[in-house]
Amino acid sequence: MASKEIEVAALGQKSDPPRGRLSAILGRLIDPFRRGTPPEPRPPTGFFTDTTVCIGCKACEVACKQWNQLAADGFHWSGNSYDNTEALSATSWRHVKFIEQFPPDNSPSRLVSDNFQSFGTEFSLEALLNEPKEGRWLMMSDVCKHCVTAPCQQACPTGAIIHTEFENVFIQPDICNGCSSCISACPFGVITRSSIDGHSHKCTLCYDRQRDGLVPACAKACPTESIQFGPVDQLRERARKRVEELHRRGVTAAHLYGDTASESYSRLNSFYLLVDRPSVYGLPDNPFNPWLHMKGDYARALIGGFTAIVALLAVLFVLGG
Amino acid sequence: METNSRLQTHMALSLSRSRDPKVRGSGYASEVVTKAPAWHGLVAWDMLLNGMTTGLFLVAAISELTVPDVFTSVANIAYPIALVLLLLDLLFLVFDLGDALRFHHMLRVFKPSAPMSLGTWCLTIYSLPLTVAAAISLVPVQWTTLETIRKIAVLIALLPALGSAVYKGVLLSTNSQPGWKNARWLGGYLTNSAFMLGCAEMLVLSLLMKNASAVAMLRPALGLLLGLNLVVLCLLVSDLRATLSRLYTRLEFFGVGTISAGAGLLVPVGLLLVTGSSLFILSAVTLILLGSLFIRFVIVALPHAST
Repeated sequence: MASKEIEVAALGQKSDPPRGRLSAILGRLIDPFRRGTPPEPRPPTGFFTDTTVCIGCKACEVACKQWNQLAADGFHWSGNSYDNTEALSATSWRHVKFIEQFPPDNSPSRLVSDNFQSFGTEFSLEALLNEPKEGRWLMMSDVCKHCVTAPCQQACPTGAIIHTEFENVFIQPDICNGCSSCISACPFGVITRSSIDGHSHKCTLCYDRQRDGLVPACAKACPTESIQFGPVDQLRERARKRVEELHRRGVTAAHLYGDTASESYSRLNSFYLLVDRPSVYGLPDNPFNPWLHMKGDYARALIGGFTAIVALLAVLFVLGG
Repeated sequence: METNSRLQTHMALSLSRSRDPKVRGSGYASEVVTKAPAWHGLVAWDMLLNGMTTGLFLVAAISELTVPDVFTSVANIAYPIALVLLLLDLLFLVFDLGDALRFHHMLRVFKPSAPMSLGTWCLTIYSLPLTVAAAISLVPVQWTTLETIRKIAVLIALLPALGSAVYKGVLLSTNSQPGWKNARWLGGYLTNSAFMLGCAEMLVLSLLMKNASAVAMLRPALGLLLGLNLVVLCLLVSDLRATLSRLYTRLEFFGVGTISAGAGLLVPVGLLLVTGSSLFILSAVTLILLGSLFIRFVIVALPHAST
């Protein structure tokens, strides 16, 4: 199905100017080197994902696929709660994660079957609120973090990955050649190379919608406002207030992830409110920008080379002199 | 309104419960967060060919410039071979792309912050004077002007050749993949290895051309470079010990170590020290090449094995 879509998209349009074979080849060679005028910078935008109000409905996943015309992934029972998307991919730019934190002898399925008998007679909001809680269910809609200093953008050798005028990280699909440098650089495992076109893909933060003054599809579809979109400074302020509120209510574990820069990583323009360790949500506890090692690694590589040169020269001078 | 407030309080309380470790699920904590790039066998071969072409050129150039009487004839054969190895390497690089027809997009920008960009530019620049040097080397007539141009081309190619050797390890070590991200000495190992491979290739060429003086100098030089490479390999293994201990059992690790350091470095040193016979030298160089390829396959597999 997806291949058909690609084939149809590749067909010539009547509006296209007539192009000979030579012209097509030259276009392919020259077009990537053409530069347009960069748009004027706009206030940075981003996502604030409040995981405490996520209900795992996956409306964000569906809206993202629908708007961006992403191919279906097929269906696969993962065996991991309700998470059958499993990971972000070239065709899934949103991924709702489910974390079941229940005692082993009191799984969610057992709770449902135990309570089911009483539903007919005693079900009420009061009963629901007062029923004993022995665990919790965490949910989080994962997406590209749109890092302020993005390792994928730093790694990209073609210049395909750029920061847009909204300071979002964007892969130019007509430039990417599928070298995979961005995939190996991303500490969050966001980017994937498509098996259909061979290029890297990820969330664009609905760049097209933003340019038209619209809210990204996922944030628009989110029924609980777990995914909030807007100018990132305002979002950070709102997020901090939300954390304070949760602390007041007794949720002392509530904290923001990616709100501020650490020694080893920049701020994220898509940041999260979590109530457990980041690794529980599949996020690195201490993300590290691999570029911090680069100078040292080049120095060691040169040391490796220069010691070999010195050794070679020493032998040549001693035996050849 | 009251219900809404009670629901929010209920939600907050339910979130604050479950502090008991017995009821806390680890969620995705056991999963590797990063995604491994689709770099497999082609990349291992690319790493070997990169070392072979840059190493051969650099050792040939350094030898020729230092002791021209002995090495010019060997270098004249080495440059065309280095060019062939480079073309093979570039072919592997292009076919490893998701969209091979967009290989030229690599030259859209020059980004020193991206090792792959720096490497592509170094390889491109290195290929130009190398082609000139290789072409002139193949001209049967000895013209002074051509010889001067050849030497200038060799001098120009030195720096980009070194850059081409250096970038590969840094490309792998400056990313977020398990294993690679800890390999601080990967660049050092691969650069050093390139010189070792180049010296081995030059030794074989000298042997085949029956250039006894060159063989007499390159044999101890290769022994010394093998020793140096063993030191850098140990530093690399020290960087990777946590990853390797997670991936391999003691027995498997012993096997990998035996093939990499034993068969790929120590046995060749022994063979080179024992005697200068052609058979021993060729056997040593074959082992060096196979050992180097094996190590590169192990390195490339690190993130995949971790996931």
